[in-house]
Amino acid sequence: MLPLVTGSQILEPFRNFWTDLSALDPVLLQLAAFAVLLGGVYALAALGLTMIFGVMDVINFAHGMFLVVGMYTAWLVSSNLGFPDYVGLPIAIIAATALMFAVGWILSVLTIEPIIEAPEENQFIVTLGISFILLAALRLRFSTQSRQINLQFGELQIGGTFIPWAQLAAVGIAVAAIVAVYLFLQYTKRGRAIRATADNRDGAWYMGIDVPRVDHLTFGLGAALAGLAGASIALFSPFSPSAGDVYLVRAFIIVVLGGLGSFPGALVGGLVIGFIEVFGGYYLPGTFGDVVVFALFVGLLYVKPTGLFGTEAER
Amino acid sequence: MSAESTPLEGVSDAYSRFDEHRYSSLAKGVLGFALLAALPFLSKNTPLGGFLSVNVLVVTLVFAYTSQAWNIVSGFTGYFSFGHAAFFGLGAYIATKLVVAYSVNPWIGLLVAAVVAAVVGLVVGYLNFRYRLSGHYFALATFAFAMLLQVTFRNLGEFGGAVGIYRPFPRDYMTNPEYGLVAMQFRSPEPYYYVILAFLVIVTVAAWLIKNSQMGLYLFAIRENEDAAASIGISTYRYKMAATGISAFFTAWAGTFWAFYLELIRPETVFGLFKNVQILLPAVVGGLGTIAGSIVGAFVIFPLSEFLRLNFGDLAGADDIVYGLSLVLIALLLPNGVLSLPARIRSLLGGDDDED
Repeated sequence: MLPLVTGSQILEPFRNFWTDLSALDPVLLQLAAFAVLLGGVYALAALGLTMIFGVMDVINFAHGMFLVVGMYTAWLVSSNLGFPDYVGLPIAIIAATALMFAVGWILSVLTIEPIIEAPEENQFIVTLGISFILLAALRLRFSTQSRQINLQFGELQIGGTFIPWAQLAAVGIAVAAIVAVYLFLQYTKRGRAIRATADNRDGAWYMGIDVPRVDHLTFGLGAALAGLAGASIALFSPFSPSAGDVYLVRAFIIVVLGGLGSFPGALVGGLVIGFIEVFGGYYLPGTFGDVVVFALFVGLLYVKPTGLFGTEAER
Repeated sequence: MSAESTPLEGVSDAYSRFDEHRYSSLAKGVLGFALLAALPFLSKNTPLGGFLSVNVLVVTLVFAYTSQAWNIVSGFTGYFSFGHAAFFGLGAYIATKLVVAYSVNPWIGLLVAAVVAAVVGLVVGYLNFRYRLSGHYFALATFAFAMLLQVTFRNLGEFGGAVGIYRPFPRDYMTNPEYGLVAMQFRSPEPYYYVILAFLVIVTVAAWLIKNSQMGLYLFAIRENEDAAASIGISTYRYKMAATGISAFFTAWAGTFWAFYLELIRPETVFGLFKNVQILLPAVVGGLGTIAGSIVGAFVIFPLSEFLRLNFGDLAGADDIVYGLSLVLIALLLPNGVLSLPARIRSLLGGDDDED
């Protein structure tokens, strides 16, 4: 620690960054492209979490494992169906999303609804328990070794910048999903019921909205978004049963950064974390970028716990 | 209730007469700890040993102890800390580092680590309570602190980085290297068991004294209704801070003990998400805010999961299913913990005991 504080080491990354910036090094453009790609996927990973929180006031610790189940589902379907990739992959992604929707709905009926009015620690404990069970089940079934969907999509080249097609596709899915969910919430009857419940649970009850049903739909949609995110990530990244932790923690940070329950917040939060991680990974020694991410997390919780886009809700 | 008394009712009457006696909790405590002290003998000389090796007992007591320390802040005040691994990890890392770098005896290291952890606890508590975090935000903030320490230690080469630190040998910090109490290292697990049992007695007495003092009254008032407590003139901030400091102080001991019991400490294991869960689980399973809850809860979870891990070792993750299922079922079916089970059964059987 000491040499890091006293020595020039702590300044060196910034100096390097400044040198690259003033020289307009093309590496910056490449890093920015990667950051946007990563951030988009992170935003998708955080979307379900923020939705469940916004409507049900439940922090879903199983969210990371939902993603991993999505990854494995996509992998199983795409490798067993025997279709060519351009048919098999969309089917695999849809299968992962649909499966997680059903899983989310069932879990909501069985485990979340009975304790939705209970103190929040019970919700932590239940969702943590679910995540342990999912993790153990995946380990038993698929062992702990890491898997990969073998794809050779190649890269897109713009200027001197390389963009892997698979990651671009994942970000495309993310943007499409965010837009679709937004439209659903704004313009459909069920979407309005969800927003009304998020706004005021008691009021929604009085207006004749079946709040438990809205909760199940929300939890199902949140889980489906996690499944979709997992399937998209599986397109370009190897995964193992324990991959969930990283994405869970990232999703927490993004959701807190953007404001619990805020959609645009999730997108911006995802991009911020994507940039910190990619640039931090390039310029900072070791995994010091992670330290920056968590310091930001802690700091933001205190300075603005409602996040960048959050409303001044009761905390 | 029928007029004629059955033998069962006789026992139950005798028990409630005992229960009302002013020294009953002392008697129960002494009896309970005597039983715990006898457990290593029982596990060696009876078939019980098939289920409970002494190593499992040590692990069980470590988390009974840590959970008791966690309970002092989270069980008593209702502020759900999800980051006590931060103090556990500090206890492990500071004491080990002091031994490795300066040959400081681990017992002194333990006290230094405990003081540092208490100070860190007070800083975290200051920020949390100053910025009035509660509920989800409090839990997330404490969690974030533990994660921040984890990634920080992973990047500190002096502390072994991601590889961690191996437990030093007694010859590294003693002039006459001898395993034993002074070295905090033993060649067999039984002495470890009695050391952690002594820790458990200390923290349990501390928790009992706090709970039965004015401070305990105030802490529970904060749990029930903080605004009301503040409105009758209780300095809720001061009492929350005190509870946090004491809790962090004791939690660090467990970390030091852990470091000198296991071979290796790593940022992922001592600061990780799973450690947070292991710390809070016994108290939650046993019953939040109760004194016996952490110990009972630890004995519900750890022997069972260890048994599964040992007997189904090729099925990696069978023990995690126990964790997961016990978490879900306890939260759904017994939200007040295992200790509330007798009262619930009595009320289901139509007894006149009121549930508390």
